[in-house]
Amino acid sequence: MKEQFTPKIVGFLCNWCSYAGADLAGAAKLKIMPSLTVIRVMCSSRIDPNLVLTTLLLGADGILIAGCHPGDCHYEKGNYYARRRFALLKKVIKTLKIDPERLQLSWVSASEGKRYAEVVNQFTEKIKKLGPNPIQTKPYL
Amino acid sequence: MNTAENESYSPKKGAMISIKDSIKETVISFFKEALEKKIFDAILIPVKVPAGDSYTWILIEDVSLFKDAAPISPIMPVQGANALSSLTRKGKGNLKIAAIMRPCEIRAAIELSKLKQVDLENVHLFSFDCPGALPLSDYVKNPSKGEEIFESFFTENKWNEKSIKPICKMCDNFSLPNCDLHFGILGTEKDKLLLIPNSIKGEGVLNEMGIAFKNDLSEWKKKVEEIKEEKEKIKKENYNNIQPMVEGLDNLAQTFAKCIGCHNCMSVCPICYCRQCYFDSEVSKFTSDNYLLRAEKRGAIRFPTDIILFQSGRMSHMSLSCVSCGMCEDVCPASIPVAQIFSYVADKTQKVFEYQPGRNVGEPLPLKEYKEEELQEIKKLVNDSVSQE
Repeated sequence: MKEQFTPKIVGFLCNWCSYAGADLAGAAKLKIMPSLTVIRVMCSSRIDPNLVLTTLLLGADGILIAGCHPGDCHYEKGNYYARRRFALLKKVIKTLKIDPERLQLSWVSASEGKRYAEVVNQFTEKIKKLGPNPIQTKPYL
Repeated sequence: MNTAENESYSPKKGAMISIKDSIKETVISFFKEALEKKIFDAILIPVKVPAGDSYTWILIEDVSLFKDAAPISPIMPVQGANALSSLTRKGKGNLKIAAIMRPCEIRAAIELSKLKQVDLENVHLFSFDCPGALPLSDYVKNPSKGEEIFESFFTENKWNEKSIKPICKMCDNFSLPNCDLHFGILGTEKDKLLLIPNSIKGEGVLNEMGIAFKNDLSEWKKKVEEIKEEKEKIKKENYNNIQPMVEGLDNLAQTFAKCIGCHNCMSVCPICYCRQCYFDSEVSKFTSDNYLLRAEKRGAIRFPTDIILFQSGRMSHMSLSCVSCGMCEDVCPASIPVAQIFSYVADKTQKVFEYQPGRNVGEPLPLKEYKEEELQEIKKLVNDSVSQE
């Protein structure tokens, strides 16, 4: 029987909303797939495109960036900047055709434990369908 | 440069100047006169090096030192914006400076001013209709032949010359950047040159010098548009050639397989202004265990590592401000068409924010501003990322 593929996803969660949302999901004992490795950042706008590219090119199957809903940022406007950075990064990856699908931005507030679980589960399903990151088989990259 | 003024400024009239000896001499005599009349304190201008095989930027205060100056030089060994940045990075100073640079250099200078690496307040930017530059490697092999070829652009009026840098062949932004004064070479009679004010500041210079600007610009504009159209076609074709080179991991790996990891492209890039690049820092280096693990997983690992990471990282860091000056390609020892690749990617990323680097000093960098309602495509992606049950 073929071994089932469990994707390795790296999640950059903002400290004030999404990380708290993840905490709540855990406290509420919601079912979350064990695919996500969480990295807590102070704000979603802190995520330099290099961090994401490094993660992706070193072989992560998916990358989730999560922050507060627009208008709710702890620093007032960080997530708007994050959205712009994400748009730029997505365009670069799309132009180079390095699986833009493996990159996702979501808004999860501190009270949305359920939404957090859904985001993670649905993204994991999506990555499962995509399969492992092909970069893992390319010695020359 | 005053932003509010510049935003609304579009040149209507220019001053027709008679060419004495050559375009070069005419431009130099203009600057000499301006220095003598104390309109500027110093001129930043490319000057031929004593050995005669290259050019360098010199800040001239003394009129007698213009002997080897070449306002329109055949090569671009140092990006003018970098020279201007060295000069004004720590503040504007009290000297009034005029700098004559290629349109791409002006655009880079404007981007650097937004990044606080150039102070344009006491600087008057001069530009000209740029025929392109010769590849540095070609020129140094035979400087006198290079001079000859470049000279023929003006005497024989051949602007789509094959010997210029590939990025210059496809440059449709070769005329009238956001400068103060512009030398119009195209569309004029053979012995005439147009001096076009392109800002209130530029008009001020002409008024101070007592040069009337009443000549019509339509012939010049027509010729510029004509060449622009040709160049746009070449650009499109070129992008079509570049596209397959950078699409997909395998093609990327092949395109950059030659890369020796020297980071020359980054160090000459006017936009890459960081004192230390992330890719030169220890943060980007890993332990041998990490490399062994990667080799184990992939079967092998190539050194220097992370070439694609370096290139794509640079694309996401500076492509929004990329002015397609071609410095990176000029210095690549492995002859990778870096500038054409970056131009292709930059064209895509800049369109996301409808941004054109160097278009206007007052326009903020795309990553430094935002609107609440924008990027509908991304908004839709974010919304679609979870379907609430």
